[in-house]
Amino acid sequence: MDNAKIDTKSNLSRLLNQLSLGDNISECLTCGACNSRCTWFDGEGGPIPRQMVRMAALGLDDKLVESGMLWDCLICNRCTQGCPMGITMDIIVRRGRSLGIAAGQIPTDIEKGIKSRLETGDVNGLTKEEFVETVEWVSEEFVDEVNDPKAAIPHDKKGSKFLYLPNPRELGINLLHLTAMGKLFYAMEETWTMSSFHTDVTNWGYFVGRDEIARKIASMVVEPAENLGIQTLVLSECGHGYHVLKFLLPELIGRKPKFDVKSIPELTLEYAKKGVLKFDPSIHPYKIAYHDPCNIARKSGCYDAPRQLLDLCCQETVELNPNREDGICCGGGGGILQDSTSTKKRKITGKPKADQMKACGLKHLATACLSCHRQLGELSNHFKLGMKVDTVASLASESLIL
Amino acid sequence: MKEKSPSILILGGGVAGMAAARSLKNQDLSVHLVEKDDHLGGKAALWACMATDTCKNCGACLSQEMARQMIDQNNLTTHLKTKIDTLKKTSKGIEALLTSGTTITADKVIMATGFDAFNPAQLTSLHWKDHKNIITTAQLNTLIREEGLNNLLENAQSPKIAFIQCVGSRNKKLKKDYCSQVCCKISMRQAQKLVHNIPDAQITLFYMDLQIIGKEIRQTLNLLSKQINLVQGIPAEILEDPDTHTLTLVTEDITTQSRSAGQFDLVVLSVGMESARDMNETTTLLEAVPNDWGFFNTKDAIVSKDLYIAGCAAGPKDILTSNQEGKIAGAKILEDLDLAEKPDINVAILGDGPQADIVTQAVAAKGYPVYIFSTTPAAKAFDMKPAQDNPPLSNIKLTRSKLTGSKLNRSKLPRSTLTGAKILAVDGTAGNFSIHYESRGKKENLTCGAVIAALEPCSTPNTGKGEFQTAMDLNTFSQISPGDLPEKSLILLDYFGPEFKSSARQALTVALAARKAKKEITILMNKMLVHGALGQRHYDQARTADILFLRFNTPEDIKIQPQARGFHITLKEATLPNFELALECDCLVLPQSINARGKFETIAKILRLPLDQEGFLQSANVRHRLIQSHRKGIFFTGTCHDEIDNHDLKTEIQEILSALATLDSPHQETKVTIDEKKCAKCLTCYRICPHSAIILNEKMRPQIMANACFSCQLCLSNCPAYAIESQGFTNDQIADQVTDQVVIFACERSCALAAENIVLPEKTQLITLPCACRISCDMILKSLINGASKIIISGCHEGNCRSMEGSTTARSTINAIAKMPGIKADIIRWEPVAANETHKFWRIISKA
Repeated sequence: MDNAKIDTKSNLSRLLNQLSLGDNISECLTCGACNSRCTWFDGEGGPIPRQMVRMAALGLDDKLVESGMLWDCLICNRCTQGCPMGITMDIIVRRGRSLGIAAGQIPTDIEKGIKSRLETGDVNGLTKEEFVETVEWVSEEFVDEVNDPKAAIPHDKKGSKFLYLPNPRELGINLLHLTAMGKLFYAMEETWTMSSFHTDVTNWGYFVGRDEIARKIASMVVEPAENLGIQTLVLSECGHGYHVLKFLLPELIGRKPKFDVKSIPELTLEYAKKGVLKFDPSIHPYKIAYHDPCNIARKSGCYDAPRQLLDLCCQETVELNPNREDGICCGGGGGILQDSTSTKKRKITGKPKADQMKACGLKHLATACLSCHRQLGELSNHFKLGMKVDTVASLASESLIL
Repeated sequence: MKEKSPSILILGGGVAGMAAARSLKNQDLSVHLVEKDDHLGGKAALWACMATDTCKNCGACLSQEMARQMIDQNNLTTHLKTKIDTLKKTSKGIEALLTSGTTITADKVIMATGFDAFNPAQLTSLHWKDHKNIITTAQLNTLIREEGLNNLLENAQSPKIAFIQCVGSRNKKLKKDYCSQVCCKISMRQAQKLVHNIPDAQITLFYMDLQIIGKEIRQTLNLLSKQINLVQGIPAEILEDPDTHTLTLVTEDITTQSRSAGQFDLVVLSVGMESARDMNETTTLLEAVPNDWGFFNTKDAIVSKDLYIAGCAAGPKDILTSNQEGKIAGAKILEDLDLAEKPDINVAILGDGPQADIVTQAVAAKGYPVYIFSTTPAAKAFDMKPAQDNPPLSNIKLTRSKLTGSKLNRSKLPRSTLTGAKILAVDGTAGNFSIHYESRGKKENLTCGAVIAALEPCSTPNTGKGEFQTAMDLNTFSQISPGDLPEKSLILLDYFGPEFKSSARQALTVALAARKAKKEITILMNKMLVHGALGQRHYDQARTADILFLRFNTPEDIKIQPQARGFHITLKEATLPNFELALECDCLVLPQSINARGKFETIAKILRLPLDQEGFLQSANVRHRLIQSHRKGIFFTGTCHDEIDNHDLKTEIQEILSALATLDSPHQETKVTIDEKKCAKCLTCYRICPHSAIILNEKMRPQIMANACFSCQLCLSNCPAYAIESQGFTNDQIADQVTDQVVIFACERSCALAAENIVLPEKTQLITLPCACRISCDMILKSLINGASKIIISGCHEGNCRSMEGSTTARSTINAIAKMPGIKADIIRWEPVAANETHKFWRIISKA
């Protein structure tokens, strides 16, 4: 049998002890609560949360990396929710991923994505010129769509109230989503803009647990935003993007940014409550279930806003069971969705979610994260659930009364 | 004019409150017991009997008997269905307005308001509210008591049942970083009860660190580990299979290196204790400030003047300890009111270890002349010496002279004649024992009022042999100044069997001290014991101080290789089953094994008291624990009778002192007399009396000593000459009550209490006996002749009888009668029914 040496001064131990949140690994009671909460549930392979914490606590860095659990983990923090000592799995796993010896395990897609993001500002390598071209083209279409010559999808407009940070998919395969978001801004009757300096809400530095990368990417958002003098940074529906920019940003850049951060559903709800935006729920005359993205719900504490918005634009919002703090990961978290070699694995990690979707017996499902959205749609197809999956903001846009 | 007698207000009529009330009986006091429910006994009174074939020593049934005793207490007023409306401190005392409208001005208040069970709805992922087959231990208790579990399980032959420990305990996130002390015991007893009731049940108990503490629980574990699955690791979520609706728990599967889902028909949440929810206001009114947990068991809690706190209001504890705390609170009040008595008796203390020293100091400080009998290991004899000669007790002289003046003059102590003594016998009864001993070939005699056994068990070092040749004893390790300790030490616990709690705590304490001196410490254990109020906090502190804790499943998982310097250890860590860990340490530390190993056999025989199953003094019988024996006036304390730490020892001493103070309080009339004319002096009674309450008087005749008699009447049913009589309660008189019916002869402390609020069916008759052993062949046959259609004799579960063997004796008498010619099958039978088994009693009589 293999032999391992305890080393409480290992790289990982030291990394974890530098952190205010993650220095509690030594507090593990080995109670095993985490094991019962892992969304891999009853299945082969996959991470065993307690083993990960124990390996980290005992400084068994090599063993932890060898186990392959670091990149199997969806960092959904479901186990953390059940931990009586509040040990944050997300931090342990990301620090583990950041170790030099774990470098070989980083999925190529993520490595490439980070590289092009750092170089071009977009994970897909969209250049500034391409961005401008795309947005201006969408803007023209948008004028026709709302039938108002003054309407636009603006970019780089200084002094705007809002800066919209899209998901890369909105500038690539899902341009319609961008138009839909534009409609919401248009109806708010506020000044808004996009920025050609940073085209992307994502931050894959988070997935690899490398603070310096995450910081760099975050700064690529913060600096141009502050230069534009905006009041509020409006995030496209993105789980980890929301968690990083709304939750981790001050810690990451070492200060408070000079703007507020809100997600598009949060902002939309705010304007609905003010009476500026009005919705026609009869556009969606059906009950719809809501999936909590781990990064937005459990990890950042935003549970109610998307539900309230759904209530305004659909017949009725229905809960999946379990939900909220106990919500089940879509199976695409932690960077696995961004890794094209994990498509098959995502059918395993998504099985508990698919079971849950099936059990609700509905034909419609909404979520507030484009990654979840893609994974849920694929689950619906794969498991033949016949469920139509939408994002909350796009449903709101559809129901919007102009 | 006579001053008004002091008033004592007791809040809460549970075990602690009742025990406190009872300790104030026979006093010129006016005691008020206020209880919000419609019955006395608190939560214990609702607890089910956990007996299987024998009593499992939970003590719940005691609350029924205590409640019964409250009725007869003259100075006590019980206010049921009453709460405190307002409380205020006035110049006259604490003025309490009860919801009944009564105002009580109390001199002292005892808060014995108990606890609430943790509400598991707070932990949403357990879905306690969503599924009828997810229940708490309290709900399971009700199902057991009301015999309704089979209904819930739809009479499944082989139901799968899971227990989940630490629900609402040991949880920093819920601000409950304490161990509730009782839940492991509760679950283990319940599991055992379920195995007994449903033999094919498949039970899994998921635990964090099984708290195996105490004489009865070590025995329970031995049995239980063969009957159920014990799994380390507690699921924090219960899933429901959407198709079959069975409950699913996901746990780590070591064999396949994945998680596996186990299906269960029933999941029992072992909920912890929290402070009683409706007590906040009362504590505020009394100017008391509980700690962050809502309890009073740590130093930061503030207890105001004239307020005493007992039972679970102070902190989580079991029934027997609540009882003990109630008694101590009562005794403290008597002392503070200057009502405490000090009978004029000598006290003999057996033992000369550190524990005996502490006991001696405390007893002597109260002014009792103390005589110490110390053991000399070689001869196993008992060496007697006057207390003052014992060097660690140098302060005794001082305290004695202060408290008792000249009475305890040093010269009066028979020091010259009493060295090298060997105890031969302890005769007599409470208040008047004669210790016969041999000293230098001469037989001597010491008269004393009470005997306290404070011996110490064997502590066998595990070092110095085999691979542990160069290992260090934990005691030695503890004595080294932390700065001088080796750089890397490993303390190995549970290797030679479950560690006693004193060793576990010692290991934690010394590890923390060593860590402060920057030494590396690893503790390798099977489980951590987190007993006591601060047990969990000590453990938390140790982990945050970077003491490394490693866990093993069985000793086979550890390989120890001594090196030229230090040790090399390979370990299959319980939480990391896929590889072995290699450890190096300069020093391997082992606690000593504590056991009785025949050490107490002689003294037990001399005291005429049984040992427990492991050979420690005192049987596990809850009627006399924690510190008493069924021979009044003989007490046990320290590790000779149970797993005791320093805190427990202090509490035990307090209880012993309060028991000494009431040793010569008025005794109940035993109503049992020996008719000298009929007595053949065969001495059967003298021989069989379980309480050694029958002595041979100066005329060499047996005499029943009222102060030691428990009125079990075993002597009466066994006297061959029918010379022992009980007023109005002869065999004939009992049999004459019998008519043409089903007759239940019921022990007054168990079955009769269970039957108390039941309207008996027609043609059923209940005759109360002082103990099941009161029955005799003569009495039963006469009852049958008088037309009894069926006879059921019902008493305590075996192991629970106050007179120790009463139930066993009754059962063998019944067996003998059943075998007699002419006795129809099933006409007479034995049914144990505890005081809290009303439902079982009802089932028995309705089927009879």
